[in-house]
Amino acid sequence: MATYVARNGIGENQRRVEDFRFLTGHGHYIDDMKLENQAYGMVLRSPEAHADIKSIDATEALALDGVLLVVTGEDWKAAGYGTIPTKSGVRKFKDGSDLKEPPHHAIAIDRVRYVGQPVALVVAESLDACRDAMELIEVDYESLPAVSHQSEAIKDGAPQIWDDIPNNICLDFELGDEDAQKKAFEDADHVITLELINNRVTATPIEPRGALADYDAESGKFTLWNASQNIHANRDTIADTVLKIGKENLHHIAPDVGGGFGGKNGVYPEPILILHAAREIKRPVKWVNDRSESFLSDTHGRDQVSTVQLALDNDGTFRGLRTETVGNLGAFCGTVGPFTPTGGSSRTQGGPFRFDGIYYTAIAPFTNTCPLDPYRGAGRPEGSYQMDRIIDYAAAKLGMDPIELRRKNLIPPSDLPMKSPMGLDIDCGNFPEVFEKTIEISDRAGFEKRKEASEAKGLKRGFGVCMYLECTGGGPKEEAKVTFRDDGKVELSVGTASTGMGHETVFAQLLSGHLGIAMEDVVFRQSDTDATDIGGGHGGSRGLEVGGSAVTQTSRQIIEVGKKIAAHRFDVDAGEIEFEEGRFHVPGTNHTMTIRDAIDSQNDPDSLPDDLEPGCMNISSVFERGIISIPNGGHACEVEVDPETGTVKVDGYWVVDDFGTIVNKMLADGQVMGGIAQGLGQALMENIHYDESGQLVTGSLMDYALPRADDMPRMVIDYYEDAPTEKNLLGVKGAGEAGCVGAPPAIVNAVCDALKEYGVHHIDMPLTPEKVWQAIRDAKAAG
Amino acid sequence: MYDFGIKNPTSVDDVKTALGESDDGQFLAGGQTLIPVLKQRLAMPSDLISLARVDGLSGISAGGDSISVKAMTCHAEVAANADIKSAIPALAKLAGGIGDPHVRNRGTIGGSVANNDPAADYPAAVLGLGATVVTSEREIEADNFFTGMFDTALNEGELITEISFPIPEAAGYIKFPNPATRYALVAVMVAKFGNTVRVAVTGAGPCVFRVAEMEQALTASFSPDSIKDGMVPADDLNNDIHASREYRAHLIGVLARRAVAEANG
Ligand SMILES: Cc1cc2nc3c(=O)[nH]c(=O)nc-3n(C[C@H](O)[C@H](O)[C@H](O)COP(=O)(O)OP(=O)(O)OC[C@H]3O[C@@H](n4cnc5c(N)ncnc54)[C@H](O)[C@@H]3O)c2cc1C
Repeated sequence: MATYVARNGIGENQRRVEDFRFLTGHGHYIDDMKLENQAYGMVLRSPEAHADIKSIDATEALALDGVLLVVTGEDWKAAGYGTIPTKSGVRKFKDGSDLKEPPHHAIAIDRVRYVGQPVALVVAESLDACRDAMELIEVDYESLPAVSHQSEAIKDGAPQIWDDIPNNICLDFELGDEDAQKKAFEDADHVITLELINNRVTATPIEPRGALADYDAESGKFTLWNASQNIHANRDTIADTVLKIGKENLHHIAPDVGGGFGGKNGVYPEPILILHAAREIKRPVKWVNDRSESFLSDTHGRDQVSTVQLALDNDGTFRGLRTETVGNLGAFCGTVGPFTPTGGSSRTQGGPFRFDGIYYTAIAPFTNTCPLDPYRGAGRPEGSYQMDRIIDYAAAKLGMDPIELRRKNLIPPSDLPMKSPMGLDIDCGNFPEVFEKTIEISDRAGFEKRKEASEAKGLKRGFGVCMYLECTGGGPKEEAKVTFRDDGKVELSVGTASTGMGHETVFAQLLSGHLGIAMEDVVFRQSDTDATDIGGGHGGSRGLEVGGSAVTQTSRQIIEVGKKIAAHRFDVDAGEIEFEEGRFHVPGTNHTMTIRDAIDSQNDPDSLPDDLEPGCMNISSVFERGIISIPNGGHACEVEVDPETGTVKVDGYWVVDDFGTIVNKMLADGQVMGGIAQGLGQALMENIHYDESGQLVTGSLMDYALPRADDMPRMVIDYYEDAPTEKNLLGVKGAGEAGCVGAPPAIVNAVCDALKEYGVHHIDMPLTPEKVWQAIRDAKAAG
Repeated sequence: MYDFGIKNPTSVDDVKTALGESDDGQFLAGGQTLIPVLKQRLAMPSDLISLARVDGLSGISAGGDSISVKAMTCHAEVAANADIKSAIPALAKLAGGIGDPHVRNRGTIGGSVANNDPAADYPAAVLGLGATVVTSEREIEADNFFTGMFDTALNEGELITEISFPIPEAAGYIKFPNPATRYALVAVMVAKFGNTVRVAVTGAGPCVFRVAEMEQALTASFSPDSIKDGMVPADDLNNDIHASREYRAHLIGVLARRAVAEANG
């Protein structure tokens, strides 16, 4: 293999180094692990949406051969463990009172509140023994009335999920300037109102959640391998808050993780249950969800019902925006749950458009459903869906052109930097240019011809756009630690968590580029509480923004130390040393020293100046982001609708994203494509459906539709790179979530454009064939 | 899964013996339906009688006016078979549209027909083409074979050995896939044999069925226009989260018209 040194680490399409491992079956996932003497755990889940547990009888199960332990709520009570807390960034009602956080135990105590809630953990010598035991556990439930829809849950007289939480409301919220919004509404020529449902979906990562717990009785230390996106923070919660064992006694590691999308972010009950079990039986215990359990127990996303109102003038000028949302939380507060429909959905209200006044309110109630937590975008997709749908809806109602409406109202670059009405710090960008570029690459000129061709086949063609504005999130701090090993390898540990995005490639690429060392010498470590002191994991499109910045910062510090070593060797001042392409040199002389030389001499005291200790080039640094970045971009798409069957085919897709600096276009493209696939899934087919009694109807892939390769259009993806942000060291703005922020409104807008001749101007997601057909039928019937 | 034994007979006679020796034996063909059912513990046979090594249960042979497909022939073979592609292209198309490449290379026609899943493709071909199901005991006409949801005329222990399809003058098959499973949400097979026309619908009801009114109309004039909306009342059709019975009734009409158009080339 040729030695590859990234030129400067930025802008190169370095191919993914992890893929060979993944594609040849050499990935190392939880289910690949087996420790000596390992036992297996399986979770008995509630079949009831809301019920009192009268009794649990595990006698027969425990008598089975190979069954080692059955854990129930009674054990939990006896152990006195803590509850799983929410870390929601929004914690106060509008009136200043505290958010209502019900006790979330890892296992049901006395009552179950959603189908799938853990009721017992069975531990046995084999999975089959677990299954046999589960069939023998007798749970006596007394059913209670249940409520699954958030709009029902807040009504007076709705089933109470928590005795002390009136109308099931966990939290309410407001942001913006209501007076300014009201005035804008009064002044405007029109106020257009649209009710929207942002459908409930689930992440369906290819690898289900799973964990392996080990306990060393001698030292009292635990090890937890966990398919998690968030190792450090969750260690603290699990060890300090729930099990009360002290975080120094829990080594938390994520091996390869096969997809997360937010669904592996939170603290879940099962890993806690098996840690308890491992200590009880003094043996390692492994648990892995099956796919049906994933549907029942992985936190879900979205599920917001909103009323959006846009005030605008006859000439199309936007004046005001008001959004009222009711966001489902499920039966408990997720780790970030209450934040999503409140803070999460509020910040990007108004998108990249000018307004006189914006006001956002939300109510977040509990229901008898699985808890909700961030799912790729966590609030921003909801925000952009509201914004870009109301624009097209208003355009249709008022006979305006949706492209012109956007063009007219985009914030011009001359307004930047600015603080948005929702408080976002928009430092840079060029929305009009991004928008025009999107329109340009989408070949609008050829649309009419394509429409005619579709028409000849009996199909309706439509075009839709979206101009989204979003923001990064997640933990602001990240650590990058570099250790030069004796075997010549360079160990790079970062506190971020890749669940497949390609960190192993891009961080190695950055380090290689910065230091001038070979990429294949970089050994990447992540998601291990022993590898870095802190770690923000994965979420909020933060990987490159904070993780990449930390790698850059650590690299710079290493170079500074290297300069001192070089200066010592050449007996000059460190200020005279320059570093370029892996070499320290003194300009105007033939004094050069490679970075490898410097590394080799870092352990030799004689080669070091007095102020440096051996090992001085092994450096760890923490980068802290001050202000979140503002990715933005344009999505355009064309659809073909079969009016006879209602089938929608996305036939063309064009994107221009402003992610600031593009470090590796191939990886960025992958993020955008995957995001579009998930956005397309949400727009056209994905839907988590609970019936009124709280039973999950879409409990398997037989009922939950996911997009497949042949559902995907050809995608043209381009970037606007002329506005790198100064908020981090790389100028990047975050690429991970944007695809599914832009895709749902672009696709729904395109379908509504295709159907405008029938008078169809809105259909709630997912736009299944039947719903599209029904909408056409209803519109025809209405005349 | 619960524990079970496995038997590997090599002839049809051995199959009978193996079955006789089992408390509660069940045939295993491609396993594409049976294995998931076992994994979910929804069945507990004492033994699986694997048909994989039984002589003479696989292959396709074309006669003058019919094509015979042996029970263990997988979907991919039917889709790729030159005789079927030229004589009954609608059948090759149907087989090529089942599941994904893995399923098509494991799943068999015998297993699919014996299973009679209400959303499966093959029942529409067997009924729509008026095929004959040949078993270890007898020959069963398609019209008498599919008796209800997951139910057939097969007796306990009766083995399908082959399916014989008469070659139609023209046939068309249009499937509207369920967005989640890609089984048939509704699919229609239309076949014309001289003066008779057969129309079979799968996916829409609890069991594949023929539509007499469409058949009569098409016998009078084999053209898409002969199919009118409302020829299949919605009342007895499936109603689930994927499609209402009204939508399924509507699709039957649309797909039947398209199937006729396809048959007419
Ligand atoms: C992911 C996936 C997608 C699929 N998509 C589709 C689809 O789009 N359309 C579709 O039609 N099907 C689909 N299938 C089902 C597939 O076609 C199966 O092959 C078929 O249902 C059963 O065939 P098999 O050979 O696998 O039978 P098995 O699973 O081995 O057996 C099924 C049943 O038939 C019995 N049986 C098998 N052979 C015989 C025989 N010769 N005589 C009597 N009884 C017998 C068995 O005892 C068992 O009860 C799909 C399956 C999967 C897993």
